[in-house]
Order: sequence, then structure tokens, then C-alpha cells
Amino acid sequence: MSEHKTNGLAVEAKGLVKRYTEEVLAVDGIDLDIAENTIYAMLGPNGAGKTTTFSMLTTLLEPTAGTAQVLGYDVVKQANDVRRQIGVTFQETVLDQELKGRQALDYHGRLYGMNKEQRSAKIAELLPLVELEEAADRLISTYSGGMKRRLELIRGLMTNPRVLFLDEPTLGLDPQSRARIGDYIVDLKDKQGLTVLLTTHYMDEAEVLADTVGIIDHGKILVEGTPKELVDGMGADVIVIQGSGEDKNFIERVNALPYTESVTNADGVIQIGVGSGSRRLVEIVTLANETGYQVDDISVSKPSLGDVFLQYTGRQFRD
Amino acid sequence: MSAAVTLWSKHMTKFVRNSEESFGMLIQPVLWVVLFGIGMGSLLGGSMPGGEDFYITFMLPGIVALTASGGAIGGGSTWLKERTDGIVKEYLAAPVPRLSILLGNALSIVTKALLQSLVIVIVGVIIGASINPNPLSWLGGLVLITGFSLGFAGIALAFGSLTDNMGAYHALIMLFNLPILFLSNALYPLETMPTWMRIAAMINPTTYVVTGMRYLMIENAADIVNLDGIPLWLCFVVVIAFAFLGMLWGYRAFMRSLR
Repeated sequence: MSEHKTNGLAVEAKGLVKRYTEEVLAVDGIDLDIAENTIYAMLGPNGAGKTTTFSMLTTLLEPTAGTAQVLGYDVVKQANDVRRQIGVTFQETVLDQELKGRQALDYHGRLYGMNKEQRSAKIAELLPLVELEEAADRLISTYSGGMKRRLELIRGLMTNPRVLFLDEPTLGLDPQSRARIGDYIVDLKDKQGLTVLLTTHYMDEAEVLADTVGIIDHGKILVEGTPKELVDGMGADVIVIQGSGEDKNFIERVNALPYTESVTNADGVIQIGVGSGSRRLVEIVTLANETGYQVDDISVSKPSLGDVFLQYTGRQFRD
Repeated sequence: MSAAVTLWSKHMTKFVRNSEESFGMLIQPVLWVVLFGIGMGSLLGGSMPGGEDFYITFMLPGIVALTASGGAIGGGSTWLKERTDGIVKEYLAAPVPRLSILLGNALSIVTKALLQSLVIVIVGVIIGASINPNPLSWLGGLVLITGFSLGFAGIALAFGSLTDNMGAYHALIMLFNLPILFLSNALYPLETMPTWMRIAAMINPTTYVVTGMRYLMIENAADIVNLDGIPLWLCFVVVIAFAFLGMLWGYRAFMRSLR
């Protein structure tokens, strides 16, 4: 392979746009700078544009506008170079049920031009990683959902990729399988120096795994940062109020309070970021009574990524 | 090219494992040969130069063509299913030319069609068809069936790329499948047809694969059977052109589905 220079970025995208039809704008100008050897998690509701973004970065779809590079290779002009550097797993399970696990891995390696020795050595190395040695010679149709996911994960690793794209790697799995896959992903980064991009439906997963989280909705990245940065940005505590009645006046008054760091009203939930929540409760409830807002439920908690998500997308995160 | 062979070998592994599929696809053409061949044979036998059994020899090429197109239709629906299930994405994310993805599929369709055609020919011989044993004839027949099923594979892959709906695929493909047989000289000579039908049969590639196979399968064909005035070389030209155009269309439709 010829000498190829990168700028330390595994993925770089500028103004990435995908328009399917006149009405359907799936990705609306996304910029990404993802450093090598990090884990980046993309969070967003269904239809936010995560999978379309992945499809463009993995060369399955051509962008309508904008550019993207993976390890310095352009995803359109140098698509085959990109393909040699990446491993991909898709949102849906993409396995031939009529093959045996070992065969699926073997055919995958053949597709990338690996020879027989390389393939069997790599298969022998990968199977123990996800504890599939015993199932390898069974038909995939007999596998459980978690086993299929694990098989797909190592299939993505068959060809020694440097960047791994995982679209919802733990969707529909039980908590135990999710935790295991999470551990594998962190290991890949720490021990093998991979860069991992993933989308997930599980807030806690993103919080634990990711070095950087990007929240995406309507085809745009709304906010990006480490999980800690995002959560700290909410304030030390967040007061969550559900209620009814006239809230406009109430929110204005809360906003005017000196200790209020942020206020959002979305999806029937008012979130107030404050320095120390429990000390402010009484004052805020009093304020609600004065302005005629009926409080049904109020709680104080340390903010989570879920609260960040609600603040930026205006939607509660639902699994 | 090695990617096409990889995909081909993967499909063959699945084909061997799925013996019901390969067996089931043969039922219809075998019934055609046996029931229609024997029934029509006894009806028309008297008027045929070689007697009752001759009709089976006469119609066998048409049934082989039907088998080949049936195999291609099955292959196209497999392709559609691999596309909608997302299995094609595994190939698309790999560093292989898009053309070889399509070729790998076409290759496995043609292989299955050839195997099934062989079974049909054997069944035909068992129930009384007489076939020229000359190896050159067999080679020529092989070229014709390969070209014909390649062309049909291209059409089926195009349909399988243009729609995401299995019902729509089958509705579309049925529009093609029946006329393939009836609007050709597979079951009756061209001269017995009304003019409009004859014109349709003359632009139907099935007519050429059938006529070509009659030349090759029947000893001294020109003396005993009506070849509708079509020369043998034209059969090869039309079938090879059909193979090329069918695959070209399949490739274009596939590339369009990626945008």
C-alpha cells in the first residue's frame, strides 16, 4: 500500500447532505471530526438521519452535497480505499441464515481477497473473543439474537479494519448481552487501537462507552461533546416538572431567577437546570402557584444524557 | 472477478443445502414435458413426420427455455430478498466492483438453470425424445441456453432492483413469463399463427433459442422439421445479443438502486 497521510482524524465530514426526494431531506449538513482511537456515539430518535449518515460514510450511498473522508480517503472518489479500512455492522441483522457461522466469516474474508490461511487464522482468533467457538459449525438460523449480533461484530473485524461502524449494535438484546458487546467495543479501542462509530438507542450505553457523543435530529447534529461536558452543561441538578395550565408566565419568571442555568419546555416536561436543586424547590413551586401553573409532579435529580437529549431534541428519549 | 466467484460459491452452498428449492423448481417444467408433451403428441402425432414421440422432441427446447426463464425468475426474487433484507449491503461495503456483485448472482442463476435444463432433457429422453448425440451439438446447445438464461437473469435482476415489493416483482415478471412460451414457436410453428402473433414471436428471443436448439438436437433437422426459415447463425447472434442487453439492463437498474 502506498504511503498515505492522515491528519489524526478517523472521520472528517464537511456539510454532508443527503436528499432522497424533493420532500425528504434525510441529512441536512453534518460536520464531523472524529479523532483516531476514540469511540463516537451518535444519539437520535428514529428517522433522525443516523443510518443515512452511516451509509454515506461507509460508501453505500453517495452524498447529495458535502464531502467526507475516512482516514483521509474520500468516500466517493476513493470508495474502495475506504472500504478496505472499515468494518461495518448494520442496523438489521444481515446474515445468511442458511450458512454456518464459520462459513459466513469465511465468505466475508474471501470477498475482501484474503487467502485461505489468513482467513482460518483470523477466524480462530476472533471466535473466542465473542465466545462463539462451539456454535461456529452450526447453522446461523439456530443462533439466538445475541449470538447473531456477536457474529456480525467479529465479521466486521475479519478484515483488520481501522475504523468500525456499528449501527445499533445492541438493538433488541437483553441487558447481559448488551453489557458484553459494550465490553468488546471498549476492548477494541483500548487494546487494538480501533476507532469506533456507533449509533445507539440506549442512553446509558452511550454514557459509559463513548468518548464523544453527538445528538442528532432532523438530519443535523444539535450538540456534541464528551458525556460529562454535555451533562455538566445542564447545571449541577435538574428539576423536572410535569404539570398543566398556563406555563408561559411561569417559565419567564423561572428564567429570571439568578440561579437558573437553563430552562426548556418540551414534550409536556419542563426542565430547570440549577446549582443545587433541593434548596430551590420551595421557591419554584411557590412561583408556579403565583403564576397559575398546576404542578402535578416534581423531582430533582442529577442530570443524565437523557435530560440533555430532551433539552436539545425537544423529545423524551424512548427505547 | 474473484468476488463474483465468491458470491457464486456462496449461492451454490445454499442451493445444495436447499434441495427442496432445487427440486420444487423442476416440478413445473417436468409436468409440462410429461403431460403436455404426451397429450399434444397423441393429438398432433399423425401430422408430425416422426409420429407421436416426435412432438416431445419438437417441444423439448421450449420447455428447456421455460426452465431457464423460471430459474432466472427465482434468482431475481432471491436477489430482491437479499436487497430488502440488507444482505446486499455486506457486498456493497466490501472493496469489490459493483459489476462483480451482479455477475456473481447471474452466474449462480445460470448454473442452476443449466443443471435444471439437463434434468429436463433427461426426462424428455426417457419419455421418448430422440436427441442428436453429437458432442458439438451439445456444446452449441450449452452456449444457447447459457446465453438465454444470462439474458433472462439480467431482466430478473433488473426487476429485482427496481422494486422493493415481492408481490409487484412477481406480478411484473409473470407478464413476461407466459408470453415467453406462448408468443414463440416453442409449441407450434410460426406459420400456424396469425400475423400479429408471428411478429411478436419473431421479436421474442425464445424463438431463436428454440429454433437453434432444434437445429442442434434433431438429426437432419432441416429435412424433417419446420425451422420457420430462421438460419442457425441468426439464432446465435440473437441469443448472444439478448444475453448482453439483458445483463446491461440488470446492471443499470442495480446501479440506479444504489442512488
